Amino acid sequence: MTLQQRFDITRSRLRSLFRRKRVEGELERELRFHLDQETEANLRLGLLPPDARHAAIRRLGGVAQIQEECRDMRRTSYIENFVHDVRYAIRALGRSPGFALVIVLTLALSIGANSAIFSVVDGVLLRPLPYPQADRIVRIFFTSQTFPKFPLNPFDLRDIRARNRSLGCIAGITRNDLQLSGIGQPERLSGFSVTAGYFRVLGIQPARGREFTTGDELPGKGNQVILSDRIWRTRFSADPNIAGRKIMLDSAPFAVAGVMPPGVAHPGNAYHSVADGDTVDIWTPFTYAGDGAQRGSHYIEGIARMKGGVTVAQAQADMNLQVAQLGREHPDAIQGWHPLVVPLYQELVGPSRRMLLVLLGAVALVLLIACANAANLLLARATARQREVAVRAALGAGRSRLVRQMLAESLLISLLGGVAGAVIAVAGVRALTSLLPADFPRASDIHVNGAVFAFTLPIALATGVLFGLAPAMQAARTDLQQTLRESGRGSTGSARQLWLRNALVVGEVSLACILLIGAGLMLRSFVNLLRTDPGFRPQQVLTAGVSLPDAKYKTGKDIAAFYDRLSAVLSGIPGVRSAGLGTDLPWTGYDENISGFTIEGRQPPPHQDFHARFHVASENYFQALGIPLVRGRYFTPHDNKNGARAIIVNRIMAQMYWGTDNAIGGRVTFDDHPKESDWMTVVGVVGDVKDRPNSAAAEPAFWWPVLQTPFPSSEMSIVVRARQDPAQLIEQVRASVRSLDPALAVANPRLMDQIAGNSFSTPRFALFLVALFAALAIILAAIGIYGVISYSVSQRTHEFGLRMALGAKPWDVQRQVMSQGVGLALIGIVLGIGGGLALGRVLWSLLYEVSADDPATLASVGAATIIIAAIACYIPARRATTVDPMTALRAE
Amino acid sequence: MSKPSDLIQGTLDLLILRTLALEPMHGWAVARRIQQCSEEVLQVTQGALYPALHRLEQHGWLRAEWRDTETGREAKFYALTRAGRAQLEKELAQWERLSNAVGLVIRTA
Repeated sequence: MTLQQRFDITRSRLRSLFRRKRVEGELERELRFHLDQETEANLRLGLLPPDARHAAIRRLGGVAQIQEECRDMRRTSYIENFVHDVRYAIRALGRSPGFALVIVLTLALSIGANSAIFSVVDGVLLRPLPYPQADRIVRIFFTSQTFPKFPLNPFDLRDIRARNRSLGCIAGITRNDLQLSGIGQPERLSGFSVTAGYFRVLGIQPARGREFTTGDELPGKGNQVILSDRIWRTRFSADPNIAGRKIMLDSAPFAVAGVMPPGVAHPGNAYHSVADGDTVDIWTPFTYAGDGAQRGSHYIEGIARMKGGVTVAQAQADMNLQVAQLGREHPDAIQGWHPLVVPLYQELVGPSRRMLLVLLGAVALVLLIACANAANLLLARATARQREVAVRAALGAGRSRLVRQMLAESLLISLLGGVAGAVIAVAGVRALTSLLPADFPRASDIHVNGAVFAFTLPIALATGVLFGLAPAMQAARTDLQQTLRESGRGSTGSARQLWLRNALVVGEVSLACILLIGAGLMLRSFVNLLRTDPGFRPQQVLTAGVSLPDAKYKTGKDIAAFYDRLSAVLSGIPGVRSAGLGTDLPWTGYDENISGFTIEGRQPPPHQDFHARFHVASENYFQALGIPLVRGRYFTPHDNKNGARAIIVNRIMAQMYWGTDNAIGGRVTFDDHPKESDWMTVVGVVGDVKDRPNSAAAEPAFWWPVLQTPFPSSEMSIVVRARQDPAQLIEQVRASVRSLDPALAVANPRLMDQIAGNSFSTPRFALFLVALFAALAIILAAIGIYGVISYSVSQRTHEFGLRMALGAKPWDVQRQVMSQGVGLALIGIVLGIGGGLALGRVLWSLLYEVSADDPATLASVGAATIIIAAIACYIPARRATTVDPMTALRAE
Repeated sequence: MSKPSDLIQGTLDLLILRTLALEPMHGWAVARRIQQCSEEVLQVTQGALYPALHRLEQHGWLRAEWRDTETGREAKFYALTRAGRAQLEKELAQWERLSNAVGLVIRTA
């Protein structure tokens, strides 16, 4: 093709596109000229003027068709027709705004909901973790029959680090919050103690200074710190020479080793759980002190980066070898433990993955229903517009042109729905993130972004084609002659069309049923969850954290003495019913176990040690939390240094190890060769509190009195049960702590109600959304039923009139109409329950004490759907009974 | 009025291009000329003629301009472009080949 030719083509196309009026005028003039020439020729042949003209016109044929074909030839007709179709579609929709509004709104809601859920899925599941080559990062755990995922012993970690071949870099990390003082207000900083190479595992370089090396792991090198960008800026005014500067942490000087770049967040962990993406203020080196032969305590979390080309399975196999070797060297410590390598991504989002996919599935079902609904409404309208379509076809519109026109209408609807849906999505994502459970992984990665709109637009277009195609094909198949002949009479839809519309309604009802079943099951499990006795009474309880700096509280005795005094001061606050201190609060993600103790006169189960959660509690801790006493007594002031050594156990521990609730007088020791004074006697048995409200069962646990514990903890939680509003006690609690030590900060004051509420937040979140989608689905299905029935009523007005003239009672007519709709609903319900049973397995892990084929849920969903279907049919059925026989017959 | 089949449409393009190769003319004259040259055998309907003219123009093979006829009326005259001339050569050769082939089959079969 030559340049000239290209130019010619482009010019003529642009001309036909942008100077359409003029081109059209020229075409008309051209044809008129032709007509005149033909007429003149005819005149010359001797015809009379009128005949000459007529003959010419006859010969020319349909002017409109020639024009249309010429337009087609100009190729721009596609664009032109498209503009035309869109204008036509706008006019058509404008003529029935109610219809348009219903479709656009339902589509907008379902497209918006889809986009919002997709944003969450995108942020949490699809987007790669914010680390270079994040798929190489793995978490390393120990696992045993009793504990699926357990932290490592630091010495085991060090040996594995030295010997393994598949991991390029291994690091350990453990929580180590410290209190910053010496500049401005004392502030509790969230910190982690990390081994060398931790940041290399994550693939992050310090912005200033250096990362810790193995040299920093040596005892005595621990007083170094790497600052977060935030702390460096807010507390040290972005001092460029910060490296090497000494700062005060927990009243001891720490040398600043480096500063991390902005946005280095915690990669998430399960043990003393800190959510992924939580801010970290400081990192301190993990130092190896103590005896490397003692490997019983497991508290450091392993994280590693695999070498290039190494698979998780290879890393796991390599790790198995290393741990087997360790087992030969330290038979006591390693027995029963196996290594477990889990990709970081899986570890972080694994538990939420299923819930998110269920939500995505649910919301996709809603979109399908909305599509079916829109198709149904369009079909009904297409039938009503059959005459219009027939007339257009008679005037020369080709079949493809008609299909395109109907599609333009549905695409316009879906695009409007998409735009409105995008707005809803933006609001929806905001609402979703505020509803998200507090510990939801990667919540900080959820944003509305381009990807989401890149998702919304095709979804909108696809729905438009999906629900527009059936009506469009239907319209194109219209039998011209028959439709035009039927003229005045309301044309009944063909049997085929009726079948299609009924099938759509049945499909809508069955999909809605599936969602209702899902929502019903989740509701039942949620109710079960709420009904389950938590084991404590969270109402009117205030909690807060206190942490004592090692530098000032050097010995266990100092720590115990402080907490004992604090407990007494707190109890003295007016308005306090009871106040205590404990190492742990219920439902806050504690899973620290101790094993290797001996119970007098008892043997552990085969191949197992005695093991239990271990805690420290002050005198009124249980009373303040409302944990009931089953047997014996709570701690008293006599459980002090001079008193007999006492512990309190929970009921499950009593039952597991003593075979009865009554374990009072039972004796426990941690010494392999105990003296009489090494035995601790069970003085009380308290009720069970599960790790999480939806845990299968409570774990065995025991408590030491503050003044007798061999492991005093510098961090404790305050528990205060108030007479009135516990929130008003916060200031007095702060004042009590300050009265004992003005340098101490009270961290994280929270109501126990909040903590308890948070632990329900995941099931509540899932339930809320699934219920919302199910409600949307059933409303859409009801609209669908209503549409089909009221359309069929309007088509059968004549028949009803005739029946009533022949003596049918209104009730008979009403019953007939209702049974049609309810019949469709019944088929849908049967299919939906079948689908629900098939899909039940997907939900299983989200359910609590309810089976996926729970008959009560299925029955109530069926009943509810029938009632809703009946209501949707009632209005058109009423209308059928009000038909005046005379009017109906005369209308013919 | 059914659409001309592809063969006839292709042939019509050839006839139009050949006719316009003589001199620029308007649509009616093209139809007239084809009719006369074929001794009234080929009657080009307007329903086929004008879409074909517009298509050829669209391909860049024809250029159109409004001019006065001998009788002083304004009409749309179509003229062959350079690309049109090349196209004509191509179509003529093709036609030649086709009619030869058909002739051979008819004579020898």
